[in-house]
Amino acid sequence: MGKYADDEQWSDVVPLPTDEGGDNPLAAIAYSEEYEETMSYLRAIMAANEYSPRVLDLTEDLIDMNPAHYTVWLYRAQCLFAIDSDLKEELEWLNETALTHQKNYQIWHHRNLIVDKLDQCEGETAFVESMFERDAKNYHVWSYRQWLVRRFGLWDKGELEFTEQMLQRDVRNNSAWNHRWFVVNGQEGAAGVGDPDIRAREMKFAMLAIAKAPQNQSPWNYLRGITKKSGMSLAHLKDFAEQYASLDQPDNIHSSFALDLLADILVEEKNTKQAAQALDLLEKTYDPIRKNYWAYRKEQLGLPAAVA
Amino acid sequence: MSLAAGPGRGGGGGAQGQLPDEMKVVVEKHVAYIQSLDTRREELEYHLTEHLRISGIYWGLTALHLLGHPDALPRDGVLDFLFSCLHADGGFGAAPGHDPHMLYTVSSVQILAMVDGFDELEKRMKDGKLKVAKYIAGLQQPNGTFAGDEWGETDTRFLYCALNALSLLGFLPSQQADQPPLIDVPAATAYVKACQNFDGGFGTEPGAESHSGQVFTCCGALSITGELDSYLGEEGKDRLGAWLSERQLPSGGLNGRPEKLVDVCYSWWVMSSMAMIGRLHWIDKAKLTAFILQCQDPEEGGFADRPGDMVDVFHTVFGLAGLSLLGHPGLVEVDPA
Ligand SMILES: [Zn+2]
Repeated sequence: MGKYADDEQWSDVVPLPTDEGGDNPLAAIAYSEEYEETMSYLRAIMAANEYSPRVLDLTEDLIDMNPAHYTVWLYRAQCLFAIDSDLKEELEWLNETALTHQKNYQIWHHRNLIVDKLDQCEGETAFVESMFERDAKNYHVWSYRQWLVRRFGLWDKGELEFTEQMLQRDVRNNSAWNHRWFVVNGQEGAAGVGDPDIRAREMKFAMLAIAKAPQNQSPWNYLRGITKKSGMSLAHLKDFAEQYASLDQPDNIHSSFALDLLADILVEEKNTKQAAQALDLLEKTYDPIRKNYWAYRKEQLGLPAAVA
Repeated sequence: MSLAAGPGRGGGGGAQGQLPDEMKVVVEKHVAYIQSLDTRREELEYHLTEHLRISGIYWGLTALHLLGHPDALPRDGVLDFLFSCLHADGGFGAAPGHDPHMLYTVSSVQILAMVDGFDELEKRMKDGKLKVAKYIAGLQQPNGTFAGDEWGETDTRFLYCALNALSLLGFLPSQQADQPPLIDVPAATAYVKACQNFDGGFGTEPGAESHSGQVFTCCGALSITGELDSYLGEEGKDRLGAWLSERQLPSGGLNGRPEKLVDVCYSWWVMSSMAMIGRLHWIDKAKLTAFILQCQDPEEGGFADRPGDMVDVFHTVFGLAGLSLLGHPGLVEVDPA
């Protein structure tokens, strides 16, 4: 009795119940009846190495019940390839499944296998974007996006504009900042921000984002990343940092990240006294939860304890 | 994660006598909670988390060790279950009937190390340790990283897992100097280094966003191969340590990446990474301790990801491990790598 037991299509299969259990309490796993029945048919099918269209129905059923069961995904992929199934149809099914199980990573790995085999990515970037409308920071989806860019060479096919749109929607989306870095610098052999024109463009982009929301860590990290990768001195950023954190107006600091950067610039200039002043402000007023970190930075200045 | 050698601070909660109630770890209740997990089999959730069964046992056992009650789950039952998941190729599946996978093979090796069960493995499978080591080594890819299974999904998590398990089994090339190496360590560490980002953190693969969990696996991998100090240097440690300390938010809790919510499990990944690079003191320990304890269920035991959420075994072990790293009384000491 059950969905499969009563189905003529499956009457040739003798379901294989699990052999776990017995006297061992840790091994005895009780399933819901429906799940257990479906699994017992999968076990039988796998034992017989059957690859056929009905395997796709069965695995679809199981994935709906429990999308985290990686064995089911693997067998489904094997079956799709073995029977030369229509992979575009598979993608359509995956589109719906991905929307119901957003945190599941097997779905993305499966998609990856299918699209790789298809050898074309039409519609994929648009699908990814529809996923970002639900969760713009989903790590699996971003990883999948990067894979698409690498696999199909999408570096200059609107990818930079895409990061711009994502950051327009949410300037604090660190995943989008990371992706922008990847698009600009990730291609093998690309000069990235080592190229003066690209560097200028990217610095301007980060600075405009900071103007929108000064207390946002990501664009500050991005700016620092640019200076580090291109071997630029931090001193170039002094005027900019002071727009948001000036030691002349210690009560009017707009960004702890600007103050942090200013402290580093002052160290570079060997102006340890002012650097200590900036770090003091961070420790006592603008970022006290990290007081031990700021105290360490002050120690590094090598000032006598009384002055610091 | 492994438990530090030696007697530790001892469990049982006796050392917590002076603490106010809201600062106490309810040791007995956590033990009872973990024991109860195995008897909740009639619940739907139980079979839906079957793919995590071995990891669940590992988390539960680790929590019990931290609580000073290592024997609260029966050793024989644990070993029988473990071996019912072992395949002839030396890999372990998540539960009986599941394909072998890196994650569960590593959890199994960690469990065997914890319950001193390697002899038992040899008894049940001839040259069992070597077979398990070879299964893991066989998942290494030409670029140095490791796949989770034969289908080739790769991730720095799997790479760390592989190194960690091989070191517990004693089959790292450095531990077997007179044998041909099972894995290519230089390729593995080169891959880890390629995962470091412009912000100083590490991601799952080259180009992927920095994430505290991945910082942990990458630092852990470099620490096992003895390259962490030389690769990062003091400047690199300062930079990574700064990124990690930025994970602490005014609530005292830690997040996994910028602009994301705090979560108890990051207490472990962020703090153990900071401990590995000698920067743990940059955390505001009092505030983090208070945050973790707000996630404790003082009535029924267990920890949740955030105050007020449902408890689960995953957040229970990471909450306890976090408190242990913070030096909270009543818990056994934990080794950050
Ligand atoms: Zn969590």
